[in-house]
Amino acid sequence: MTTTLNTPERAGSRAEPARSGWHGTGVATQILVLTGRSLRAIIRDPRLIVFNLLQPLVMLALFSQVFSSIAHTPGFPAGVSYINYLMPAIIVTTGIGSALQSGIGLVTDMKSGVLARFRSLPIRLSSVLVARSLADLARSAVQLVIMVLFATVVFGFSPAGGWTGVVAALLLGLVVSWGLAWVFLALGSWLRNAEAMQSVGFLAMFPLMFASSAYVPVSGLPGWLQAVAKVNPLTYAVDAARNLALAMPVGTGVVSALVTSLLLAVLGVAFAVPGFRRP
Amino acid sequence: MTDQPAIEAVRVSKTFGTVRALDEVSVQAPRGTVLGLLGHNGAGKTTLVNVLTTLLPPSGGTARVAGFDVVHQAHQVRSRIGLTGQFASVDEQLSGLDNLILIARLLGASRKEAAQRAGELLEIFDLGQAARRPARTYSGGMRRRLDLAASLVGRPEVIFLDEPTTGLDPASRLGMWEIVEELVDDGTTVLLTTQYLEEADRLADSITVLSAGRVVASGTADELKAQVGQRTVTVTLGQPADGDRAVAALAGAGLHPVHNPERHAVTTPVTASTDLAAVVRALDDASIEVAELALAEPTLDDVYLTLAHQPSAA
Repeated sequence: MTTTLNTPERAGSRAEPARSGWHGTGVATQILVLTGRSLRAIIRDPRLIVFNLLQPLVMLALFSQVFSSIAHTPGFPAGVSYINYLMPAIIVTTGIGSALQSGIGLVTDMKSGVLARFRSLPIRLSSVLVARSLADLARSAVQLVIMVLFATVVFGFSPAGGWTGVVAALLLGLVVSWGLAWVFLALGSWLRNAEAMQSVGFLAMFPLMFASSAYVPVSGLPGWLQAVAKVNPLTYAVDAARNLALAMPVGTGVVSALVTSLLLAVLGVAFAVPGFRRP
Repeated sequence: MTDQPAIEAVRVSKTFGTVRALDEVSVQAPRGTVLGLLGHNGAGKTTLVNVLTTLLPPSGGTARVAGFDVVHQAHQVRSRIGLTGQFASVDEQLSGLDNLILIARLLGASRKEAAQRAGELLEIFDLGQAARRPARTYSGGMRRRLDLAASLVGRPEVIFLDEPTTGLDPASRLGMWEIVEELVDDGTTVLLTTQYLEEADRLADSITVLSAGRVVASGTADELKAQVGQRTVTVTLGQPADGDRAVAALAGAGLHPVHNPERHAVTTPVTASTDLAAVVRALDDASIEVAELALAEPTLDDVYLTLAHQPSAA
């Protein structure tokens, strides 16, 4: 029966057309092709990378100067300069900013109409999400490397952990960024509004950044803020990255940061895929 | 299997909340033909296209495209159709070439095949010069052409064109019509939505008229025109007070005039070739001053107005 589809029509007025015979491709190829597409868009418009680095760069410049005297207060790890204390936190917060950007990028994609095209193609829509998260992971990595180089050259960032410690902190920051990116992808796929994403991201992230160990030791915070900081997951991510960079004992910090990120990713996927499929 | 229609919707309904966007709509298009969906904004044209292209699940009824069920075999349907919506569905960041390669690769073409097909289409659609420019720098017409090229990458069996000429200048519109005709000559089945009777008349083998989510008429362009009636002549009067006299004069000439006092006009259908002369003669004999005389082809509005009064026509 199937061969009849390829034989010329009997009536003969119109020849059976040449069909491509392309009826779709495997998920791996879909993800590969779509990741390439997202990367290409990033490379074509590198302004976005630079623009997104402005906020962390300003923070780095301001905090490293304004708060440098904190290094001499009690409760601060002895023998550590403020830039070496601050930079691992900047790595983590930059990764978070990058994760938010991922969600906003998805919303932009959904608005642009290219998604309408993808919907009518024989591909899995989850491939589009996975591809975006992978491309944004690459973008995140580029941003983090630029930040670290900048901090090293301009502010003399050189922690006790050496390059291995910095690379380890950077990788941890990337995993956290990737896990959170899925949360923002889920949020984006349901909210579908870039401004709302920006507001939610700002409102959620800004207090979390300050009510944590990111910029000052938790013991230096007022009592009620200490309570918040101690349950703030960001504190643990920052501590883990910092301990890696400063060659301090990491304990279970790194493992729990990785596990938490993975859980966030799983949760994000679970919500992002149905949200994205919604017409 | 070759006798199976390329597009077949059977009593398809779609509700959004309490709104019934499609109400038991049935359409059919044999392979290699053009089905025109005619209707105003909100008639349900795009919703039907979305159901047939698997973008929206129907609330009721069944539909098969290229021989596959749009709900249970969505993947097979998607690999055999092309869709050009009302808004260009291209990646603005990518070049025209990269857009087409992306789609070919997602359809399963190798890198080489994809590049070859993309090059072919860019030539056909006269986008060769702009192939490597980002699509965001394209003009509206170029974007439309890229979008249509994108839907043709996989040489689909069935192609859906949702108002392909809305917002195009006359030359581009003509170009689009020629492309559709070429597609059909190649054996592709086309479903085309439009608000213009003229467009459906030119392109479609059969036309389905939608109104408020229901099929109000279907048939060939000639069949529809026969139902709708004919061309009309509208006479704008020099003296508004002459309305009743003009109606009487035209009725006396065997016509069926209708008075439109707000526009100081009298409208009458004209069928026979001699009717136009009869209108002029009758008004002249009655010494009625004519400011303007206009001959109009039947429009979609006429289709609606006529068919609304004869529900059995569906």
